[in-house]
Amino acid sequence: MITVNSLTKSYGEITVLNIDQLEIPKGQCFGLVGNNGAGKTTFFSLLLDLIKTSTGEIISNDIAVAQSEEWKSFTSAFIDDSFLIGYLTPEEYFYFVGELRGIDKAAVDLFLETYVDFFNDEILNQKKYLRDFSKGNQKKVGLIATFIGSPKVVILDEPFANLDPTTQIRLKQLIKAETEKRELTLLISSHDLNHVTDVCNRIVLLERGAVIMDKETTAKTLQELEDYFSA
Amino acid sequence: MPTSLFQLSRKKFMRAPQLEAKLAIKILMGFVVLYFGGSLLFAGIAVYPILSDLLPERDAISVINSVLVLIFILELIIRYFLQQLPVTEIKSFLLLSIPKKRIIRNVLFRSLLSVYNAIPVLFYLPISISMFQDDYALGQVIAWWVAVTAFSLCLNFISFLANKNNKALAGFVILIILLYLSESYMDFETLRAVGYFFDALIMQPLWVLVPLGIFVLLYQITFSFLKKNLNLEGALAAKKEVANAGRYDFLDVFGSHAFFLKNDLRLIVRNVRPKNIVLMSFLFLFYGLFFFTQDNQPESLLVFASIFISGGFLLTYGNYVPAWDSEYYAFLMTQNLSYKKYLDSKWRLMTFAVIVSTVLSLPYLYFGVKTYLMILSGAAFNIGLGTWITLYGGLLNKQPLKLNVKAKAFENTQAFSGKMMLMIFPKMVLPVLLYIIPATLFNPTAGYITLAASGVLGIVFKNQILTQMVKLFAKQKHEMLQAFTQK
Repeated sequence: MITVNSLTKSYGEITVLNIDQLEIPKGQCFGLVGNNGAGKTTFFSLLLDLIKTSTGEIISNDIAVAQSEEWKSFTSAFIDDSFLIGYLTPEEYFYFVGELRGIDKAAVDLFLETYVDFFNDEILNQKKYLRDFSKGNQKKVGLIATFIGSPKVVILDEPFANLDPTTQIRLKQLIKAETEKRELTLLISSHDLNHVTDVCNRIVLLERGAVIMDKETTAKTLQELEDYFSA
Repeated sequence: MPTSLFQLSRKKFMRAPQLEAKLAIKILMGFVVLYFGGSLLFAGIAVYPILSDLLPERDAISVINSVLVLIFILELIIRYFLQQLPVTEIKSFLLLSIPKKRIIRNVLFRSLLSVYNAIPVLFYLPISISMFQDDYALGQVIAWWVAVTAFSLCLNFISFLANKNNKALAGFVILIILLYLSESYMDFETLRAVGYFFDALIMQPLWVLVPLGIFVLLYQITFSFLKKNLNLEGALAAKKEVANAGRYDFLDVFGSHAFFLKNDLRLIVRNVRPKNIVLMSFLFLFYGLFFFTQDNQPESLLVFASIFISGGFLLTYGNYVPAWDSEYYAFLMTQNLSYKKYLDSKWRLMTFAVIVSTVLSLPYLYFGVKTYLMILSGAAFNIGLGTWITLYGGLLNKQPLKLNVKAKAFENTQAFSGKMMLMIFPKMVLPVLLYIIPATLFNPTAGYITLAASGVLGIVFKNQILTQMVKLFAKQKHEMLQAFTQK
């Protein structure tokens, strides 16, 4: 689904990301871990053409993301709260995203019904603008909106951060359900090794922009990661 | 002097995105300031001798005194709309051990450093010198200058308060209207009293204590206003704002663009800054009244007015067009929304606004069909070309905008600024040229036809223009994203 070829990103002399070759097959749940400054968000931003590559390219479903805007039709992402429109209510935001992806209001309503548990009565029918919601509840809206219209590629930057424990667990269940339901290529970055090894079937460890470890998730993966980070 | 706070302001400027562009604008502004400053200085030098010659039977200074109140009101209006107020990021200072007083004094002092406060030196000082040469005592001259300067600086604080506080603004506006009404209809000499006061001041220089007292009082009021607002206003208090459920179904006539227009409408209605700016664009509708009510206006000025009447929205809101979306720009750039559709919907928004303004300007028919045809040709230009020129300018503007500013007292909430006036300037030159060249070569009608035809051409070649804009947009995308994420 996604192919990365000799990708680098540098600011002046400093190279912040350098991935020679990376292949993410269709339907994979891809977990990205690494300390601050490892290049996780940089990688996602390059995937979404939010920043320019220095060298190399990213091919998503046969489309070079820096060349064409066609990737937008099958990709969705939630990177940070700049992915929310503060002056809309959650419903209006969902409808807006739905319109962009060709899903009408009734279908969005139907879609939202399946996430009632996840919203925990705190999101819908609140008569409040998104900017007035707490960080955690804002995040819930942003996360759910990425699944509207069944995009083939979903990119979530630190989806577990800022969520309360109940919602973190529900999010894990939700991700597992989504990936089982259809062929979804899901890219997640996280500082929570527990969660990320739980949901992802592949873990890539970045450090200073380079891939240090790239493994299928097994029962031992969590321990290996913990050993690495405590060393 | 709190130098470290000044250093922070300096660093903020030097490290801002698009430093070169900002510097260029500063330099251009510098020339504008030099021009107006020079004119003011010249006027200050010339006014006294001229008045002495023209009205030998009256004291020149007394004549000046009698119109001072009008100068003050004019100055206040100019300051209110154009004077940039100093902005400080208070959030990071609040927890540091900097006394609140020092932060406030810094803000107030910086507001006094504004170029607008050079008026007393440039305009009133030469008058004072003329007075001195005209055999007034030094004490009288100094008292007069100190008094006008104090008033001028009072205006600095009044415009500060009016800009930050809507109640204060309403209060000042009502006060000025009441004074005017009492003067012209009820035979009270309220406005003229200012003139009499200055006449009295020259007789008895001790009166200078009154303006000084008012100045100190206004300083204190502004100081305590800022002190009260020196917290993260509202950020910690519970929110009570209830979402309005406007659905704007009437926009469905725009078909597949309707939902995007609805979103723009919500943006305008639900955020402080765009709301103010759009209300302001309604004022442009009345702009024509200045020109059409007077006889013997040159036609090129009337063209100017016609463009303004239908183009208020373009000149105010349009200038910042992609920047209004800066808070969630990354989101829009990753959604299933092509650049073409995005720009097209912005074009439709502006076209919609021009059409609404043109319909609202129907009362101008009162001045004759010819006048309204002028407005229509201006509207055609605005739709066909004005929109694109505005959008082009907007794409080059990389200043992010905060939509709903909470800590109002310390942030820039102004809808208008001198810099923006500069950005508007090129937009006004083209239509006037389009009119003047054929109008001088043939006749005025040819001018209007050319103006309208240029707009029609813009509509005919819309797709070609749009394709070019998309190219520019794609080229600018990354730079804009980077600039918009800078706080």
